[in-house]
Amino acid sequence: MELLVKNGFVYDPLNGVNGEKMDIAVRDGKIVESVNERRARKINASGMAVMPGGVDIHTHIAGSEVNTGRLLRPEDHFRDFESKTSVTRAGVGRSIPSTFTTGYRYARMGYTTIMNPSMPPLEAKHTHEELNDTPMLDKASYPLLGNWWFVLEYLAQGKIKECARHIAWIMSSTKGYAIKIVNPGGLEAWGFGHNVKGLDDQVPYFCTTPREIIRGLCKANKLLNLPHTIHVHANNLGKPGNYTTTLETLKCVEDLATEDKPVIHLTHCQFSAFKGDDWRTLESGAEEIANYMNGHSHATMDMGQVIFTDTTTMTADGPFQYALYGLTGNKWVNHDVETETSGGIVPFRYHRKSYVHAVQWSIGLELALLIKDPWRIFMTTDHPNGGPFTSYPKIIAWLISKKAREASLKRINARARSRSLLPSMDRELSLYEIATVTRAGQARALGLKNKGHLGVGADADIAVYNVNPETTDISRKYRTVRRAFRRAAYTVKGGELVVKDGAILKHVDGHTMWLDVKVSEPARITGDMKRRFKDYWTVEYENYPVNEDHLKGLDPITVKARV
Amino acid sequence: MISLRPLKPFRFPVLAECINPDVFQGKTLNEIETLQVWEGNKQKKLGELFKIDEVKTENQPDNPAITLYGDVSKVRRIGLGMKSGEITLNGDAGMHLGEEMKGGNITVHGNTGGWTGSMMKAGTIEIFGSAGDYLGAPYRGSTEGMHGGRIVVHGNVGTEAGANMKKGIIKIYGSAGQFVGFRMHDGTIYVQGDCEGRAGACMVNGKIVVGGHLESVLPSFTIDGIRPKVKIEENEVAEGPLYVFLGDLVENGNGKLYVSKQKNPHLNSYEKFL
Amino acid sequence: MCESKFLGYSGHRLLKPLIRKNGTLVEVPFKEALVKAAEVLAEADYPLLYGWSSTSCEATRVGIELAEEVGGVIDNTSTVCHGPSVLGIQDVGISSCTLGQIRHRADLVIYWGSNPWSAHPRHIERYTTLSEGKFERSEWRSYVTKTKAATARKKVESALRQVSPKKKFPIPSTPVERGPCPAILKAGRKLIVIDVRKTRTAEIADYFIQVEPNKDYELLQAFRALIRDQEIETDKVAGVPVEYLEDVSDAMIGCNFGVIFFGLGLTMSKGKSRNVDAALRLARDLNARTKFVIMPMRGHFNVSGADTVFLWQTGYPYAVDFSSGYPRYNPGETSAIDVLLRKESDAALVIGSDPVSNFPRKAAEHLVNNPLIAIDPHMNATSQMADIVFPSAFVGIETSGTAYRMDHVPLPLKKVVEPPRGVLPDEEILRRLLLEVRKVKKRKKAQAEVK
Repeated sequence: MELLVKNGFVYDPLNGVNGEKMDIAVRDGKIVESVNERRARKINASGMAVMPGGVDIHTHIAGSEVNTGRLLRPEDHFRDFESKTSVTRAGVGRSIPSTFTTGYRYARMGYTTIMNPSMPPLEAKHTHEELNDTPMLDKASYPLLGNWWFVLEYLAQGKIKECARHIAWIMSSTKGYAIKIVNPGGLEAWGFGHNVKGLDDQVPYFCTTPREIIRGLCKANKLLNLPHTIHVHANNLGKPGNYTTTLETLKCVEDLATEDKPVIHLTHCQFSAFKGDDWRTLESGAEEIANYMNGHSHATMDMGQVIFTDTTTMTADGPFQYALYGLTGNKWVNHDVETETSGGIVPFRYHRKSYVHAVQWSIGLELALLIKDPWRIFMTTDHPNGGPFTSYPKIIAWLISKKAREASLKRINARARSRSLLPSMDRELSLYEIATVTRAGQARALGLKNKGHLGVGADADIAVYNVNPETTDISRKYRTVRRAFRRAAYTVKGGELVVKDGAILKHVDGHTMWLDVKVSEPARITGDMKRRFKDYWTVEYENYPVNEDHLKGLDPITVKARV
Repeated sequence: MISLRPLKPFRFPVLAECINPDVFQGKTLNEIETLQVWEGNKQKKLGELFKIDEVKTENQPDNPAITLYGDVSKVRRIGLGMKSGEITLNGDAGMHLGEEMKGGNITVHGNTGGWTGSMMKAGTIEIFGSAGDYLGAPYRGSTEGMHGGRIVVHGNVGTEAGANMKKGIIKIYGSAGQFVGFRMHDGTIYVQGDCEGRAGACMVNGKIVVGGHLESVLPSFTIDGIRPKVKIEENEVAEGPLYVFLGDLVENGNGKLYVSKQKNPHLNSYEKFL
Repeated sequence: MCESKFLGYSGHRLLKPLIRKNGTLVEVPFKEALVKAAEVLAEADYPLLYGWSSTSCEATRVGIELAEEVGGVIDNTSTVCHGPSVLGIQDVGISSCTLGQIRHRADLVIYWGSNPWSAHPRHIERYTTLSEGKFERSEWRSYVTKTKAATARKKVESALRQVSPKKKFPIPSTPVERGPCPAILKAGRKLIVIDVRKTRTAEIADYFIQVEPNKDYELLQAFRALIRDQEIETDKVAGVPVEYLEDVSDAMIGCNFGVIFFGLGLTMSKGKSRNVDAALRLARDLNARTKFVIMPMRGHFNVSGADTVFLWQTGYPYAVDFSSGYPRYNPGETSAIDVLLRKESDAALVIGSDPVSNFPRKAAEHLVNNPLIAIDPHMNATSQMADIVFPSAFVGIETSGTAYRMDHVPLPLKKVVEPPRGVLPDEEILRRLLLEVRKVKKRKKAQAEVK
């Protein structure tokens, strides 16, 4: 099957293409040098911006936590639904859409690859079943390892290599993609209702600290040669004054950055960039964090932008979620997973007129604009925590246009506005930079070789947006840009045209990528795990790894570890 | 005035939110007949299910009144979200009658199904028969109770009448099932007849008055006194003497539960705390 | 599970598709049954697809696609079992965990309205009082002592009866434990049972509270008040003296990690979802004082799985109505029994359950009075009354698949033996049915256009 996207203004930052008018040729699901123009299906992209399909590095869309979130919010689903058509399945939306609707809504915005960042290893099969039912996208998932008893025990003994080997086992068993760390040590403490307060707090019952966990896993990650860095949700999330914890977290692995590559990804940084002593004196810590990021190159982050809407918070950070319940009195779900992790869900509404929420809104944008290198700060909302992913076009508008920011600033809490750095910031991102923060940068940080770019050999995942860079002043006409990114003119997935003018043409399944990590002595690890299983978990060893029966579209990526 | 009569007895659920004065307004009879409804899993036109006539009345309001004749107990969502106008039903109505109403009046000479007046914001609903469960109560998982308006039921109601109520008044002249005023935040509920147990469970504020027999008072309520009477609304007062209970303590609530002393001798034991 | 039950699964087995002709069920080729079933479903105006709790998740996925295609109501056995728990969770949320957390950490276990000794025979041994965890030891020694004492008591009573058979010994009506709750004083794991009668589980408990039938809500609210240090004015709540409730609430506050397991005693007694609502709030409120979780004791082996699949595909856990083209959920309106009692459905497909034998009579009657398709490995009451029957393979014995444990942990089901010849797995039957339904609908649409 051959396709030719003609005459568009191409933005391909990974290959240095900045708005050049060129054709993109596709054959059999890959980008190729050229195709036979007469035979190929042609897509007329003249007057439009052509980008690689969107890549979302952190979005909660599948697994036990997300599904319990769906259970918790029938009143959300009641008001937002999609009927069955001859091409699409029915579903419901708002902050936690059902799986089919999730896929369709991402595809309509030109997204083609998404990463589900929280997978309790014991429930990995559930995550994969839901990913299988999420159409239109390629996806992967990160197992939660920062509180895993094996990690805590080996790191307490200083056995980094053993730890790394066991991580290789669990990564391949759960078909995961990266090491996810949430509130290291804190989730284990939450098993008895406690938490940790700082990087050097002792984790109860286990002789280790969050600092040791983060450093240990960073070293293990390097030994294993994993394509992405450790993906960290910092301690003390959501607490006023936590920006110091965030800086310490970034600093604690500074010395481990030996090659010229990042070694840590700090996720949804907005929630971890609070200055102040309490909610009344809350301020933005974005400037301090941005200064650090501008002076060091070993870290990447994503925004975790807040949107003024009703949404649902869900993270593996059990104690944080309980605190949110305390603040709001809303319904609260808690789900601790034996040996591994925890989780919590609380519906939440962000109000413009609330001082705290308005400060949070400002922090996300300040981070994106103050950190100079767009290759190291990515656009996310930590869906659905900051807001639904369908609000991405709004954030793009704020990033490219000071006017858009001013329009929103006018309506927020006055005290927050007077404290915000945004009025004094003139920076506006270009389309090239948007392509970086919404696709190219994320793909590079994830180590995805064939995603996020339009070079020959890449997967043919292409998004065409109806905005003409030659005739549109994107800063003034931000509404046009917002509209364009809300409903892609065309989305191509794996070489097939699947969306036109924001409508789904075809339901396609994507692939689930996972790492098949090869270590030097796999059999020994298997024997070791089998022995310990009965003590630690309540499932049989044979039933724990995700078996491939009944899962489709699995796409293993072989990784050769250095251990 | 537009009148509707079912053309046949309904067997499958009919979803007819188009039967709404705001929707009918400004439309010709033909246009009204082609409005879409669901009958089971088939889409039909209103005119295929109802005989629709226009009846000239002396004063022609902008917003035509709607009258339904016959058994429409399978027809759901009549008057959903209506902002003004009149609907009169001469027969039983289905579920979700007047759901999320913002104004206008609905009168039912018959019984209604569950979720009547669910999440209502304003307007009045008067039911001469009985209402089902969840009168005025919100949708699953939601705490959006009644935000205003009046509901009057001459017969009985089922469980959870007035659950999550925030404002407004509900008057029930017959009896009520369990959990009247569950999680109430404010507003008034008056049950003239008997009440099954657990009235006012988890209430935070508001007023519930039970004129008949109340099976039991929850252990998380505390007796506050005896009053000779209590005001229901303008021109309506419930005669006592009435026990006044404060609760629900498990929610640090300040709601008031008034219970007729005469009809509830089993509650005499509370008097020793006064 | 004993071997005879496992290996004897093949009794009363259905082996061939059946269609009712002239009042009796006769064997027919698969294709004939398939076409007839497809026609029934494609032409129905409000079909009901019920069951799903004893089949694999993979089959349920196809079932949902089928319900969407035919514009019907799809419901699973939560509707008669833990539906009220789901409703409670939707209003309150739930503080919970996987079973391993309980095994490792729980030092206070409360079974409320649930009798695992009979209904979930491995529960206590694997996950609670008699299990070994990282932080808590098993209480099997104290259990053995108690059982020995109970056996000795029974032997004495039996001997006495033999000595003087005519003399009537007063049979103690299930007595309420009088006296303070020893649980707060004991180290190690503690077991409390709250139920309307003294069950087998209650016999091995450290403390038993007998609650008056249908008064669980009052008891729960009393506990909620007590843990907030509020006073209860009455002497007794639900038939239990308040002093004993105060002791139990002290035990709840004083533990390191407590758990309430609840069953149909709460979900099906007066108050239903509000009983569960109160229990969920109690567990939630306790988290301000200590670590506390709560979990429903699910019945059918894969009802959790059915709920889970329904949720991710439709956004709702059960009682999903696709008749207007998108998923709608409102138990009481879209739940199977209510639809049947109001005589609204005009056809039904039943799979992995036996509603004819356990639904209210009027609901079962309506089910049977309309075209009924049954998919089951066994001949049971439902398949006996059906119009079209498909034999299916046993999930977890003859076909593989996924199921979800009561704490939502996914587990693989293995295929151990081949199914009898001609007998297909549920998933396959449903897939073929879906294809055939699409063919029928296409044909009808073409015919309608011609007219």
